[in-house]
Amino acid sequence: MTCKLVRRHLGAFVDGETDPATQIEFERHFEACPGCQEHLAFERSLREQTRESLGGIHAPEQLWNRTLHRLDEIDVVRNDGRTPLAARPMHLRQTWIIAAAAAAILIIGGVVGLPEGTDYQSAGMLQDVVNLHSQALPSDVKAEAPQEVVRYFQGKTPFPVKPAQFEEPSVKFVGARYIKVGVHPAAALYYNHGGHRVTLLLFQSPEIVRDAQRTNVGGREVYYHNVGGHVVTIRQHGGVNYAFYGDLDRPVLFQLAANARVED
Amino acid sequence: MPRNTKKIDAERELFESEARPYLDVLYSVALRLTRSPVDAEDLVQDTLVRAYRFYDRFEAGTNFKAWLLRIQMNTFVNRYRRATRERQVFEGPMAAPVGEGVMGRATMRGLTDPVGDAQRRLIGREIQRAFDELSEDARAMVLLADVEELSYKEISEIVGCPIGTVMSRLHRARKQLQGSLQSHAVQLGIIEDDEEQVDDPIPLEAFRARKLVKS
Repeated sequence: MTCKLVRRHLGAFVDGETDPATQIEFERHFEACPGCQEHLAFERSLREQTRESLGGIHAPEQLWNRTLHRLDEIDVVRNDGRTPLAARPMHLRQTWIIAAAAAAILIIGGVVGLPEGTDYQSAGMLQDVVNLHSQALPSDVKAEAPQEVVRYFQGKTPFPVKPAQFEEPSVKFVGARYIKVGVHPAAALYYNHGGHRVTLLLFQSPEIVRDAQRTNVGGREVYYHNVGGHVVTIRQHGGVNYAFYGDLDRPVLFQLAANARVED
Repeated sequence: MPRNTKKIDAERELFESEARPYLDVLYSVALRLTRSPVDAEDLVQDTLVRAYRFYDRFEAGTNFKAWLLRIQMNTFVNRYRRATRERQVFEGPMAAPVGEGVMGRATMRGLTDPVGDAQRRLIGREIQRAFDELSEDARAMVLLADVEELSYKEISEIVGCPIGTVMSRLHRARKQLQGSLQSHAVQLGIIEDDEEQVDDPIPLEAFRARKLVKS
């Protein structure tokens, strides 16, 4: 066996893909040839360094849970025996979650004193809006890539996610992530307004506006809810709710909601 | 409650327990292929959704990891690569001549068993850079063989080509990686430049055949 042949097939030898007879021939050659030994040591070392520098990446923490949500959707369809397009009703599992959420809100409601006249379902979602803001979960899409936002949410939310833009130059987009408001898939968009955090949640739920109070700010219709002393302002665009909540004074929050622009 | 709910639950449970251990592998490969964390997450999710949908077609006892990776590779090729197909003509496996970039002796010595953490990190970064410059096909080969350490047979099933083709594509990918590594390592002064005869590889089958004739 010549050095030339050994070096040509060194890769397969290191991979353990040579047949036993060839392997023995290789080994014999290495014993007698320091030059090829050097090539072998290099091939092995480079393989190890490649594995070290390219491998060992861990999946983001939430990836598995998000995947499970998508598998849920398949199960729901399978359970119903219908096609995904036809299946839009409320499913058993979801009904149970809403019931549980409503029960939880009853308890929370007792503590924070939810406004009268708001049904429990909306109250739960509003409480979610407030909670999701205070949790300040990390972004999945960063501000450096705002153009990624629309693409990131494709297939995750049942509606296209179009980030709101503001007239105020002090409002900066910080990041976004996928989340749920009640049982509704939602997009959480994080902004910073002069050093104050603002969370904007996009989700679909007609009841939240139906139950809301309504006002007019600068010629624009702004809905709002009072959640235990906190105000959540809401704008509607293309059947999607844009719920604003932040560490801001009430008038600022109304102004922000009124000034929000969404490109069609 | 529908009568097939129990069956679905059992299947779901089995799928989750089988798939969960490979989440890191899928994400790791997806990130190296797409070079974007957002695309990588989408690719992994789409892969697992498809795998779950076609779970009944998976033959128990066969390699689940390879099966998942095959679905991921197909999904990647069909969806994410479509947009960049035109570029592939120039970057694909036919772009670079085989045999290009075989290492010289001084390069080899400089890169074999680097001494110290600083040197290791430097070379590690260079490997990543050289890898990112490879074509998608070459990246897939290096990932599956060198990082995930899959057998040629498994790789041939994942990418859907004969073992002989895997060998030549892998050989080409490794040589491209080494060539890029060499030129940069010389520029950075990690190693000294040298010149050595560059060989053209021949298929192992041809080598075996030649050996048979001789004996």
